[in-house]
Amino acid sequence: MRILMGLASVAMVAGCLLNWDAHAQSPADGYPNKPIRIIVPFAPGGIVDTSARVIGQELSKRWGQQVVVENRPGGNGFIGVVATIKSPADGYTLLMAHTGEFGVNPAIFPDIPYDLDRDLAPITMINEAPMVVVVNSNVPVKTISELLALARAKPGTVGVSTPGTGSINHLVLEWMNLAAGVKFLHVPYRGGAPAITATAGGEVPAGKAALGSAMPHIKSGRVRVLAVTTAERSFVDQSWPTLIESGIPEVRSSIWAGLFAPKGVPQPIIEKLYAEIAKILQQPDVKERFAAGGGVPGGMRPEVFGAAIRQEAASLKKVATAAGVKPE
Amino acid sequence: MDILSNLALGFGVAISLQNLIYCFVGVFLGTLIGVLPGIGPVATVAMLLPLTFNLSPATAMIMLAGIYYGAQYGGSTTAILVNIPGESSSVVTTIDGHRMAKQGRAGPALGMAAIASFVAGSLATLVVALFSPPLAEIALKFGPADYFSLMVFGLVGAVVLARGSLRKAIAMVVLGLLLGMVGTDLNSGQQRFTFGIPALAEGISFAALAMGMFGVAEVIYNLEQRAAVRQVNVPSIGRILPTLAELWQCMWSIMRGTGIGAVLGILPGGGALLASFAAYTVEKKVARAPKDFGNGDIRGVAAPEAANNAGAQTSFIPMLTLGVPSNPTMALMIGALMIQGIQPGPQAMLQRPELFWGIVASMWIGNLFLLLLNLPLVGLWVRLLAVPYRLLFPAILMFCCIGVYSINNNPFDLFQLVVFSALGYMLLKLGCEPAPLILGLVLGPMMEEYLRRALLISLGDPTVLVTSPLSAFFLIAALGLLVSIAVPAIRNQREVAMKE
Repeated sequence: MRILMGLASVAMVAGCLLNWDAHAQSPADGYPNKPIRIIVPFAPGGIVDTSARVIGQELSKRWGQQVVVENRPGGNGFIGVVATIKSPADGYTLLMAHTGEFGVNPAIFPDIPYDLDRDLAPITMINEAPMVVVVNSNVPVKTISELLALARAKPGTVGVSTPGTGSINHLVLEWMNLAAGVKFLHVPYRGGAPAITATAGGEVPAGKAALGSAMPHIKSGRVRVLAVTTAERSFVDQSWPTLIESGIPEVRSSIWAGLFAPKGVPQPIIEKLYAEIAKILQQPDVKERFAAGGGVPGGMRPEVFGAAIRQEAASLKKVATAAGVKPE
Repeated sequence: MDILSNLALGFGVAISLQNLIYCFVGVFLGTLIGVLPGIGPVATVAMLLPLTFNLSPATAMIMLAGIYYGAQYGGSTTAILVNIPGESSSVVTTIDGHRMAKQGRAGPALGMAAIASFVAGSLATLVVALFSPPLAEIALKFGPADYFSLMVFGLVGAVVLARGSLRKAIAMVVLGLLLGMVGTDLNSGQQRFTFGIPALAEGISFAALAMGMFGVAEVIYNLEQRAAVRQVNVPSIGRILPTLAELWQCMWSIMRGTGIGAVLGILPGGGALLASFAAYTVEKKVARAPKDFGNGDIRGVAAPEAANNAGAQTSFIPMLTLGVPSNPTMALMIGALMIQGIQPGPQAMLQRPELFWGIVASMWIGNLFLLLLNLPLVGLWVRLLAVPYRLLFPAILMFCCIGVYSINNNPFDLFQLVVFSALGYMLLKLGCEPAPLILGLVLGPMMEEYLRRALLISLGDPTVLVTSPLSAFFLIAALGLLVSIAVPAIRNQREVAMKE
């Protein structure tokens, strides 16, 4: 099977080259002429899967080619990313990944089976959503500085729920600890929904979660938002301050989902994908879809996107090293 | 009055032609996979998940839900006729159900299973409709210590209730707990027993293990028997409808089973399997003339079948009201909703009443379909079981492989399937019941998670386990079960009762 596929791709590449010579065509001219698959390194559901499905649906409407979302969950996202980089770099296999694979994993794992610069070509950010710092609504704390004061008074005892050890939420919590010189009690859960439910139910006084996960409990009034983690305030509620505004210097982070291709996909194809997706991200219905989870569409140029990821990875690496967050 | 207008809204959604069709497709598929051992609702829901993206959220949920509770009906058919649980939750039904079939009373057993399931399903759906909001509040009050103690109780129960040797049951639970240790430790992020294999970072594939042990291992075992063992080797089906006397005899069993199932279904980690075990034990304790249990007592069919179906319905409560899955199938349903851009939870319930009430209304319709599918048409399913085994087993193997693969699209899961098939076959040869192992595997990681979280939040003070009244209650109940089995008289009685 693999040999067959190998042969087929050799034949295709040869075909393309011949074509190119004959008509001086760009490799993007005929693209796409067969179904595209977007690998999602997660089970269905959640920001990454949703982003892939929204983009997939819109692309196939515009191009008349099927776009299949393939969920390859497991192994902290390693399995899906590795499946992508082992696929032919022809633009027919893409990867929808998020903060976890390129911001967090390089920071906390000593050894990961992929490298952004070596193996992948960023296309653009699709969806970016803030995380929030919340407290149970019965906790008499109204601002971040009051929460910090509480943590200073009782170091290591004020519980903060997160969706797991080594999650972006956990790293940002450690970042807050470092930047504000406090120590919260980290209480990890399996995923965002159980974590925020624990804070809403009063099991843990505070919580650190994606805005999307926290939204139902924010609306029902069981939890109160103290701050968003992004550099800008959120469109969801302009009255929530950012962490920086609340006096925790430097801490800014988000949960984004972005589209990648294996390294080596011809630049014209990347540009074609980028141009089409940038248009899709302008659609009001797409904006609305993302807004339900507190997200805003991305759409920056590939090189800007790549630079942003590198910068983020560097900051998170510093935090992980200083806080000693290591899975092994 | 509120509930009436809500139900009217729900039936308005559920009775549209499209939703009726998908509801029927769901319960039909559910019965089919329930009858066929080796393929369960988890795999089926996983396989159909990509299809639901193009359906409306309510339609998608109506179909997927139908598969889940439909499987509870189908599972009993195989349990009664072939002495193999079509679904793990019908394990208990094999005890008395198959004995009845051997006595030539397969018909009443099948009929009673369907009637008990229908009554329980209808009542439990009413529970879902009436008590979702208040019950969600109760479940929300469970702290980590309470969950831990509940699971201790569940595991002790699994040992006490297991068929056969007590020592083997303990060994199976412990093996299950050990297998549950594989994966990333929640608190430290350490990899445990993963040997650097990324696919093991999230633990052993539950589907691969369940299909290996309940599906492939059975296939190997049966092929070894050469003769067509898996044929329906019961004297005759006989009349399907139970007599009025039997119905009267079972009425309270069904009610008790429904009650137990409805309560246990709501609790994460409880669910249909534990519900049917619990209902059977309770029934044996409270019923008059319990000596018949294990020898083809129809109450031993009615109670667990009512319980597993009630549990299947009420396990939707935490999923729909809180967004918390109580079992792997519910976790997949949450996935299906999230694909549609809906985050299940209290807000989804308030903002999309048509979704919640549409599902509730479809459950009544679905249960009605299932009664029709399982009473007059039971012959169809029996014939499905009578399909020559040489035709059936390749299909079972193929479905197992597709099912396991389609969950993660990872070939490694197929290797796991092979390993657990071999292990399952070995255990069958050794006469070890796999059900306690599965319970250990599922409950072990959750138990550890809740215990460590309880201690983390209490800053290391272990007295939280007894100072919380709920937790103390479950621990005392577990202790009571342990003591009861340690008393020689009761232990002997248990061994008599469990003897086939």
